[in-house]
Amino acid sequence: MRSSAAPAPAGNSEAPSAPPPPSIWVSLTSFRGTTSRKTDIYVGVAGFAILLALWSVATYFEWVKINYLVSFKVVVIRLYGMFAGYNADHSFIEDIAFSLYRVGVAFLLSAVMAIPLGILMSSYRIVNGLSEPIIDFIRYLPVPALVPLTVVWLGIGETSKITLLWIGTFFQLVLLVADDARRVPREYIEIGMTVGAKPRAVLRHIILPAMLPNMVDNLRITLGWCWTYLIVAEIVASNSGIGFVIMQSKRYGKVDTILAGVLVIGIIGLATDQAIRWAHRRYFAYLR
Amino acid sequence: MEPQSFIAIERVSKSFQADPRVAPISVIDDISIDIDKGELIVFLGPSGCGKTTLMRIVGGLETATVGRVLIGGKPVTGPDRKKGMVFQSYSSFPWLNVIDNIRFGLKFRDDLDVAEKERRAEHYLELVGLKGFESYYVNRISGGMRQRLAIARTLAAGPDVLLMDEPFGALDAQNRDFLQAQLDVIQRSEQKTIIFVTHDVEEAVFLADRIFIFSARPARILEEVRVCDILPAERTLEHKESEVFFRLRNRILGITRAQALRTEQIMMGASPVQ
Repeated sequence: MRSSAAPAPAGNSEAPSAPPPPSIWVSLTSFRGTTSRKTDIYVGVAGFAILLALWSVATYFEWVKINYLVSFKVVVIRLYGMFAGYNADHSFIEDIAFSLYRVGVAFLLSAVMAIPLGILMSSYRIVNGLSEPIIDFIRYLPVPALVPLTVVWLGIGETSKITLLWIGTFFQLVLLVADDARRVPREYIEIGMTVGAKPRAVLRHIILPAMLPNMVDNLRITLGWCWTYLIVAEIVASNSGIGFVIMQSKRYGKVDTILAGVLVIGIIGLATDQAIRWAHRRYFAYLR
Repeated sequence: MEPQSFIAIERVSKSFQADPRVAPISVIDDISIDIDKGELIVFLGPSGCGKTTLMRIVGGLETATVGRVLIGGKPVTGPDRKKGMVFQSYSSFPWLNVIDNIRFGLKFRDDLDVAEKERRAEHYLELVGLKGFESYYVNRISGGMRQRLAIARTLAAGPDVLLMDEPFGALDAQNRDFLQAQLDVIQRSEQKTIIFVTHDVEEAVFLADRIFIFSARPARILEEVRVCDILPAERTLEHKESEVFFRLRNRILGITRAQALRTEQIMMGASPVQ
């Protein structure tokens, strides 16, 4: 009893029916198999469910000391308390808003500067020659190493925090954008030049649309990096933000609050990532 | 003084210096060709022999190391819409649909008003048989349709000369036959001067008024074959089965086979047999 599908009558069928589609399990586990979008979502949810189950089992049987890992339920309750109650002089919602604002502004600034510079780097040797070595130099500096300098130069306000996030993303993004622009097929550019487009028109009507799908992917990836620098930035004499909440809870050993903060960052990250992927599928359907 | 030809390739040589420590590599060696208005010229030769490079020099996309190219008496200094290109791959923009791809050829023509641009886009859409596919994106049409689309866009820009770089090279045999026949029809209706690069001898014989057979690198002209004196100007696929066609094809194949062998030897580093 291997299959529930009715076996084809032996030998004499004139139009053989299409073989039944492979089971979901087979398509999921075969080498480079393909699955439907719906299946992918279910599997993704299942991944989270497994993680949650492991967490619950570990805390239920007290495999890990309660000081280190509290149960998921405790974290959820704590999260509810954080949203409902007050932490220091402002609510957790405000902390989230502060973090979103910092990441948002820093990332927007990075993108607005990196996209034109990256495209110019790919278009003109002089721009590339002057900027690439400097960008490479800064790119390799660990962001935390720059914290003292930004504090001395910019103080402890929003400027220094946003600057740190900006340093973490801009210098990575600009090289990725330059690469995206360089990878535009030479043919596309030459088509432009042979129908009478001047360099500016080639940039606007060919290079930009041709590189856009890859660039959106790179923006999505660097947005993730921007979030990872948030904690670094919010250590800097901050009294707000998700990073601040996490750092402060560490001082009092409040594991539940730390985990709640981590959870929120993860959820925001996942949500924006999925939103950008969705937009990518919708607006760049011509690629598939 | 003899009357000036429409396109004059005058003693063009090209060499690349990939590495300053070694001598430059000669790609094209002193080629001169005169082309009349409305001719379809085929550059035939083995892959990597420099025929595409010569065509790109005519298009202003590359510069000659020595010599020059004149079109209509004026030296070529760079690319413009008077010299249209049709590539083998990436020949149209995937982010635009069929009609917008054709419109792109007209986008930078300030001499035409909107209504005239629209009229011409329609004209070329019909000319290449893509009517009904206006809203299709490039990924939804076949390889043959993509190449017809590229031809339509290039013609829409109003070029004096059409430069085609193995445009049917990636198509299957049936599609290639069909497109060759269609190109013949298009050329007779549009009266364009065409330079067509290929390594397919049959394609060359079927399409060409004149074939220039290129040697292995560095490219020289081995022979000029005046197909127009042997086959009628108006050709159908039936001509491919005629004896004249066969004999001509076989004679050219003999020359190109020897060249392909030499190219292999050069590529593998053996000293070329002189």
